[in-house]
Amino acid sequence: MSAFKTLATVMLKELAEIFRDRKIIINGLLLSPLLFPILILGMGALAENRAKTQLESELKLPIIGADIAPNLVAFLATQNITAEAAPEDPDALIRTQEKDVILRIAPDFAEDWRASRAATVEIVHDSSRQDSQIPVRRVERALQSYSRQAGAIRLIARGIDPSLGTAVSVTYRDLATPEARRGMLLAFLPYLLILTAFLGGAYLVMDATAGERERQSLEPLLATPAGRGAIMSGKIAAACAFGMIGLLLTLLSFKLSFAFVDSGPFKGVDVSMLAVGKLLLVLLPMVLIGTTLLTLISASVKTLKEAQSYMAFLMLLPILPTIILLVNPVKNALWMFATPFLAQNQLILMVLRQETITAQQWGVYLAAGFGLGALLWLVAARLYHREQLAISA
Amino acid sequence: MIELTDLHKQFKTKTGPVAAVSGVGFTARDGAITGLLGPNGAGKTTTLRMLYTLMKPDKGSVRVDGRDAYAEAEAVRRSLGVLPDARGVYKRLTARENITYFGRLHGMDEAAIRRNTDRLVDALQMADFIDRRTEGFSQGQRTKTAIARALVHDPKNVILDEPTNGLDVMTTRGLREFLLRLKGEGRCVILSSHIMQEVGALCDHIVVIAKGRVTAQGSPDELRAQTGESNLEDAFVKAIGSEEGLQA
Repeated sequence: MSAFKTLATVMLKELAEIFRDRKIIINGLLLSPLLFPILILGMGALAENRAKTQLESELKLPIIGADIAPNLVAFLATQNITAEAAPEDPDALIRTQEKDVILRIAPDFAEDWRASRAATVEIVHDSSRQDSQIPVRRVERALQSYSRQAGAIRLIARGIDPSLGTAVSVTYRDLATPEARRGMLLAFLPYLLILTAFLGGAYLVMDATAGERERQSLEPLLATPAGRGAIMSGKIAAACAFGMIGLLLTLLSFKLSFAFVDSGPFKGVDVSMLAVGKLLLVLLPMVLIGTTLLTLISASVKTLKEAQSYMAFLMLLPILPTIILLVNPVKNALWMFATPFLAQNQLILMVLRQETITAQQWGVYLAAGFGLGALLWLVAARLYHREQLAISA
Repeated sequence: MIELTDLHKQFKTKTGPVAAVSGVGFTARDGAITGLLGPNGAGKTTTLRMLYTLMKPDKGSVRVDGRDAYAEAEAVRRSLGVLPDARGVYKRLTARENITYFGRLHGMDEAAIRRNTDRLVDALQMADFIDRRTEGFSQGQRTKTAIARALVHDPKNVILDEPTNGLDVMTTRGLREFLLRLKGEGRCVILSSHIMQEVGALCDHIVVIAKGRVTAQGSPDELRAQTGESNLEDAFVKAIGSEEGLQA
């Protein structure tokens, strides 16, 4: 019998088996397409909501020594920052996170002010707290703007042009496309997609080798005349098909949920069918790498449980490039397209930012991705030919 | 016809190498049932695994219908129907689908698979559960499914590792009749067992294995003559050297 027929027979049987297990279909195929949009849209809405309330609403600022600088307090009020009574122990309030930011006006503020010396104010805050960043920045900006105004008035009063103090005027021209700016917000998306591609077929592929061995059905299967390489390839093909179906559903649910957003950072993101197609092509080698790697692992362990113990480690792999890029951002270079996980990360971002991927980049990427998949396949096939594989217990 | 010559197999374990089989040889004729009798751990399963090409002997040879089991492993597997010690059937598939899957792996066309399945369903009395999923099957139903799966391609040689293990009396009786039918069809049947009565009642040629070696072999009459015991069970016990691990 031809190897291809064996492959097709095994693939069909594995798919028939898994599609009869309702729970696995719900967990493996439907849960993530339902969960990711909620995550994305929910996160977008939350971020927008927080930024809006913290930026625009009234900021209540406890001020120590408010009576020393009534003009400053009045200016802050025009910036929608209202003074609150001074607390007894400001440091304790910041430490217990009861207050985000407290302003202390130095006792000699009035004296320094009148003498035209730099008068001291102190912002008490905790820089490690994410949620106090916006209020702290607002207070900072308001104080700087008050300082600039008063400084300019002083210079004018002495007959000096305030612009003399500014030797270089810096302006910015941001060339980021709206798509690219949104791409920054979508930085976590590659991880989710790569993870789905990498481990989407994990259950099926581990069950088809380690599980079958544990349930003692591998020995009769390998005693048939069907070639072991073809049997293994059929199992890999079934897991790849399952993984690709899961990915397609996830991508379609992304597309749909972006279409329904009417506010927030994701408003107007258009995931075209072309982009969905490109993303599937980007993730196809990842699906192959994931399933062949898991087959290799499953063929080398004794039980399903042992195979599953690798999952925690494998789930961390796709996040590595994201972490490395966070610490050490690098420009796109050709070698990156040959590095697993990093390549997918960059390509997904490029597709989402609607940047052009050159034929050379595609070529390097697909050759490296499928090449690694083929290499893992060869190693897995070697393990599949070991005598111990068929022997359970 | 299956010929085993001086098979040796050794396993590496943490405490050092263990010889599972050290010098097993016998010939199984067509149209006869050859029984491997021995206590648990005597090396029966390892011998059978070498016979159905899943393990490579360290020394010795296996010939099936004149073909070397290693030089022509695929052709040999095609001519064997194997019920391994591991009976695992696919729980989410029906009994018929389990059988069909193996038929396809043997390269059979759908019509032939259906024809042979119907024949086996009849012979093994599987009609009332053939289209049920095997999840929740009794031991007997699982064994019957595994046997039908092993024989769907109508093999000339049939290898069964402890076929009656865990079965009730009625199912065992039915299975024995089925084995005699296979013999009547001119097939070469090899089975292993640790049950003396079963081997005595069923087999034309008995190979007694203990500690990886053949300690006696021949027809029931020959065994009685060899050991000088008039009772076959006493002959077995004498051939093995102890009663341990055997069942009357």
